[in-house]
Amino acid sequence: MTVAQAGTASAWTQKPNIDQWIAWWTIPVFYNIFGLIFVVLTRVMPPPRPDITQTQIVQFFVDHSLTIRIGFALLMFFIGFASVANGLIAQQMKRMSISPVFAYAYIGALVVGGLPGCLIPAFAFVAAALRPDRDPQIMVMLYDWCLLSFVGSLGCFCTQNMVLALAIFLDRNDVLPKWLAYMSIWMIVTELLASPVFVFRSGPLAWNGSISFYLGTVVFVVWEFCMIRLLYTAIKKQSPSEQIQD
Amino acid sequence: MTAAARTTAVWAALSAITVVSWFLAPARHAEPVVASTPITVGVLVLALIKSRLIIQEFMEVRTAPLWLKLATEGWLVVLFGAIVVSYVW
Amino acid sequence: MTTTSATSAPSATRHLPATKDLWVFVLGDFVIFGSYFVIFMVSRRQERDLFIESQRHLSLNIGVVNTLVLLASSWFVARAVQLTRDGEFDRARKLTVGGGLCGLVFIVIKAYEWSAKIAQGHTFPSNNFFMYYYMLTGVHLFHVAIGLVFLGVSYVELRNRRRIAPVETGATYWHMVDLLWVVIFALLYVMR
Repeated sequence: MTVAQAGTASAWTQKPNIDQWIAWWTIPVFYNIFGLIFVVLTRVMPPPRPDITQTQIVQFFVDHSLTIRIGFALLMFFIGFASVANGLIAQQMKRMSISPVFAYAYIGALVVGGLPGCLIPAFAFVAAALRPDRDPQIMVMLYDWCLLSFVGSLGCFCTQNMVLALAIFLDRNDVLPKWLAYMSIWMIVTELLASPVFVFRSGPLAWNGSISFYLGTVVFVVWEFCMIRLLYTAIKKQSPSEQIQD
Repeated sequence: MTAAARTTAVWAALSAITVVSWFLAPARHAEPVVASTPITVGVLVLALIKSRLIIQEFMEVRTAPLWLKLATEGWLVVLFGAIVVSYVW
Repeated sequence: MTTTSATSAPSATRHLPATKDLWVFVLGDFVIFGSYFVIFMVSRRQERDLFIESQRHLSLNIGVVNTLVLLASSWFVARAVQLTRDGEFDRARKLTVGGGLCGLVFIVIKAYEWSAKIAQGHTFPSNNFFMYYYMLTGVHLFHVAIGLVFLGVSYVELRNRRRIAPVETGATYWHMVDLLWVVIFALLYVMR
């Protein structure tokens, strides 16, 4: 058995673009954990109904108190993976023939959206789950706060999709294909249609509605699958010696 | 006919069909408006005709590759089929 | 059988207008809007009388005028593509402007229509019919606005680079917007 000589790096670290591959892998990991957290543990997806009674809302927190708290505790660690993913996408945007303004705006927009999109809902639910014997009115408020924030904040991501679409349209280096830009426009439409959850407590435009939630989720899943695949191809084609603008 | 004349003819047909729907739409008199299956089916058929004209002529799918023709015809069939079924069921 | 002028799109060979990327967009938008329409119809089934009664408060005249305006805009845009293919860039540019102006007229009429409805007390949450009315016309209006951006790109192309693909792209998208309105018009204003 041969022993590696001191000072020689392992073969895998020499693989081209290994830094980007590591970043890329955080994406599928993140989304699987995201599914575990939001669907199985905390029951935020699909969202419980806005039009149930106070008693039912309190019962919801009693039933799921432990898994909500464990799920969102996990989120505290894994939410950061989304930042890595966004760094990767931003970097690819810097390879485009346009100003890095777009890459910076992309990251900024996701910071703005990530707060009401993931973290605020988490804390609202955790606070409710911590002491389910609170005043029921407060429980209802925390319930509303989480779900209004989770679904209603989707509009914050419009900027992300706008800069991505614009960047791709203007890019002459063909880093990402034009059809992704068009799909990003769908994302903008479905995100805009999430705002009516502030107005409706039932029906397709409520936070559990067929249009505001379900259709938007389907479009998002398709978009994300495409993004993951396209990033894979982009990294594979990227020469490690390529100069990227500052 | 030239392409220009054809385009204008299509536009004229679309506009004429639109004006026809003025007469099919619910009356604006005091009498109560009643649901009417024949009128609605008529309206939907007209909408289908207009949609198909726009796709085939304006969007030039008539001279487009087969996959696009199939996709657009398929969409029209599924959409209007679903609308009619949900209306008459 | 088609006979077209020598310099227009050949009828013997298959020609895909614009780009495959744009058609991904158009077909996907058809599916997404189609879902909205089906969801609308299902809701309508559950509250038929409410929908019929509420529909009376819509102005059919405005609906028809808006439809005619968009159909005219599509004519402008379709002719612009043909003229571009014939190399008549200046005329094509003017027609593109014509199409865009029609689009603006549509937006203005829609804004007027909405304010009239709101003044009459029919707001977004008034009832389910008006929820769909504002939602469908609102999302459509967003598409019209995007369409104006596409036409703006066509205009600039016709002034400078004179490539046909962007002009076809804008036109195809615009026709999609026109088509979606045709369906919305039938579902909201006319059918009962």
